[in-house]
Amino acid sequence: MPQSSSSGDRPSDRRRRLRALVDERRALLVPGAANALTARVIEDTGFDALYVTGAGVANTLLGVPDIGLVTLTEMVQTVEAIGEISSLPMIVDIDTGFGNAINTRRTVRVLERAGACGLQIEDQVFPKKCGHFDGKGVIPVGEMVSKVKAAVDARDDENLLIMARTDARAIEGLDAAIERAQRYIEAGADLTFVEAPVSVDEMRAITAQLAVPQIANLVVGGRTPLLPQAELAEIGFALVLYANTPLQAAMRAMSEVLGALKRDGGLDAVRDRLADFGERQRLVDKATYDALEKRYAVE
Amino acid sequence: MPSSEARSLRVQLGGDALVVAPGIYDALSALIAGQAGFGALYLSGASIAYTRYGSPDIGLLGMTEVADTLTAICDRVATPVIVDGDTGFGNALNVVRTVRTFERCGAQAVQLEDQAMPKRCGHLAGKTLVPAAEMAGKVKAAVDARKSDDFLIIARTDAIAVEGYDAALDRAELYLEAGADVLFVEAPRDRAEMDGIVARFGGRVPLLANMVEGGKTPLLDAAALQQIGYKLAIFPGGTVRAVSKLLAEYYGSLREHGGTGPFLDRMNLFDGLNEIIGTPGYLARGKEYDGSNFGGEA
Repeated sequence: MPQSSSSGDRPSDRRRRLRALVDERRALLVPGAANALTARVIEDTGFDALYVTGAGVANTLLGVPDIGLVTLTEMVQTVEAIGEISSLPMIVDIDTGFGNAINTRRTVRVLERAGACGLQIEDQVFPKKCGHFDGKGVIPVGEMVSKVKAAVDARDDENLLIMARTDARAIEGLDAAIERAQRYIEAGADLTFVEAPVSVDEMRAITAQLAVPQIANLVVGGRTPLLPQAELAEIGFALVLYANTPLQAAMRAMSEVLGALKRDGGLDAVRDRLADFGERQRLVDKATYDALEKRYAVE
Repeated sequence: MPSSEARSLRVQLGGDALVVAPGIYDALSALIAGQAGFGALYLSGASIAYTRYGSPDIGLLGMTEVADTLTAICDRVATPVIVDGDTGFGNALNVVRTVRTFERCGAQAVQLEDQAMPKRCGHLAGKTLVPAAEMAGKVKAAVDARKSDDFLIIARTDAIAVEGYDAALDRAELYLEAGADVLFVEAPRDRAEMDGIVARFGGRVPLLANMVEGGKTPLLDAAALQQIGYKLAIFPGGTVRAVSKLLAEYYGSLREHGGTGPFLDRMNLFDGLNEIIGTPGYLARGKEYDGSNFGGEA
C-alpha cells in the first residue's frame, strides 16, 4: 500500500522507530533490499527494518560487481521506490558518500529527503582503484572524520542515524580499526560498524570498547563468524546486517528454475518452486490498486 | 525538429575552418544555439551545475544527471553535441560506463580530464591531478569502450597550473599515444603558450581552446584562434553568464514595474517562443496521426 502520506508513517516517525530499535541493542536482524520487490518480501516476512544495499543495486540494477559504478541518482531512485511501498525504516548504504565531505553533504541531504532513516558511510578510498578488488584502501582518519562531521551537520532530522563504517581491520589491524571508530564517534556518528572482525573475541572487543550501538555484517563466505542472533545480542550488537541474503537466494533460485526450463523444455519439475499468480499479486498488493481503480472509476 | 543535414563533428574537424561550440545546458539552449547556426554544441558540466542546481562546478554532479540532460538535448537537436565528462566520474572502469552511456544518449564527443575526483573548474585554484599514467589508462579505456569511431575522445590536461607548462605538454603527448582524438591543454596563460601547444601538436591532432570570460587564458575570437592553429573552440560558460544577467534584468524590471510592459521589446512573445520550440510543426504532425486519417470519426 502506498504509505508515504498516511499519518503516523512519515519518515520522521520511521526514524524515531529505528532509533528506539537500535537503542535496545538486541541484535535486530536487518535484511538487504536492492529493489522494491525485495523490500515487499522483507516486510511481508515480518522484519522491522531493511538495508538498501549498494552492492545489491550494482548487482541487480546494473548486473555489475560492487566496484563503485552505481551513481547517487540511482541509489536515490531505488530508495524512493522502496519508501513508496514499504513502511519499514530504511538504512541506506552510501559507500564513501560519493566523493569528499562536500559530496557527502549533498548525498545526506538528498537521501534524507528520499526517506532514508539511517545512512552508512565507509572510510574506503573513492573511487576504488581498478584491479584492487581484494586490496581495499582506506582514507586518512582525519578525512573520514570530516566526512562524518559533514554528514551529521547536513541532516535536518537528528534521528537520521549516521552509521560510520571502517574497513581498516583488514589493513591496519583491529586496534587501529577500533581507534578509528572511536574518532568517528567523537565526530558525531550515532553507530559504528567495524567491518570484518575475524573471531568472537574480536567481536566482543568491538562492543566492549565502543560506547555507541554497534553493527555486525554477516556475509556467507565472509571472514566474520556467522553467529546466531541470540549470541550476537549477548555480545551486544545492536544491528545485524544480512545485506545480500535475499539477493543470493534469488540468484540461486532463478538459476535452478531456469536451468530446469532449459533442460526439460517446461516447468513440471520445478512448478512448486514458483510463486503462483495469486501469491505474486498479493505480494505486490494488487488489492489496494484494484480498490483505487474502483474508487476513481469514471462514471 | 532534428535536421538531417548536420555534419558529424569528425567531418567538421577534418575541414579547414575552426569549429565553434557554444555552451548549452538544456534542450532549449541547444535549440537556440543550433538555430543561430553553430555546427557543434558544448554541454558544460559547470553550466548544468549552475543552472540545474544553482551550485558551483565542484564535482557534485553525478553521471546520471549529465546523462539525463544529454538525452533530452539529443532527442531534440541534430547538431553534434560535445559532452563534458569531467573525470569520467571515477577510475577507468567508471570511464567505460560513462563513455558507453553518453554515446548511447547521442553525444558525438566526450571530454575527459586528468583532475583528481571530485574535480573543480579548470580556472579555479586548488586543482589536483591523477598521475599521468592513470589518466592515459582512462583515455585508453574510453577509446576501447566506444562503439563507433565517430564518437570522439577529447583528452584534457589541467596540469599547467599544477605541474607547469612543459609537464602539461608531456601529459598531452601521453594521452595522444593512448588514443585521444582531440587534445585540450587547459588554461594556457598567454599567447606564447598557445602558440607552443600548436607548434608541438598542431600537425598531428585537432586542438581545442577553451574561452572563459574572466579566466586565465587570453580571450580571443574565432578568427584569431583559427590563425593560431586551433581546430575547435568552446565558449562553455558564456551562455550562463549572459542568461543570468538577462534574468536579473528581467526579474528586476518585473519587480520594479509590477508588469512586463517595459521589458517587452527584449522578449519573445507567445508566438515567437512557439516558433523557436517548433510548436507549429508538432501540431501539424499531430494532425497527420489523427484517427480521422485512419478510418475513425473526425
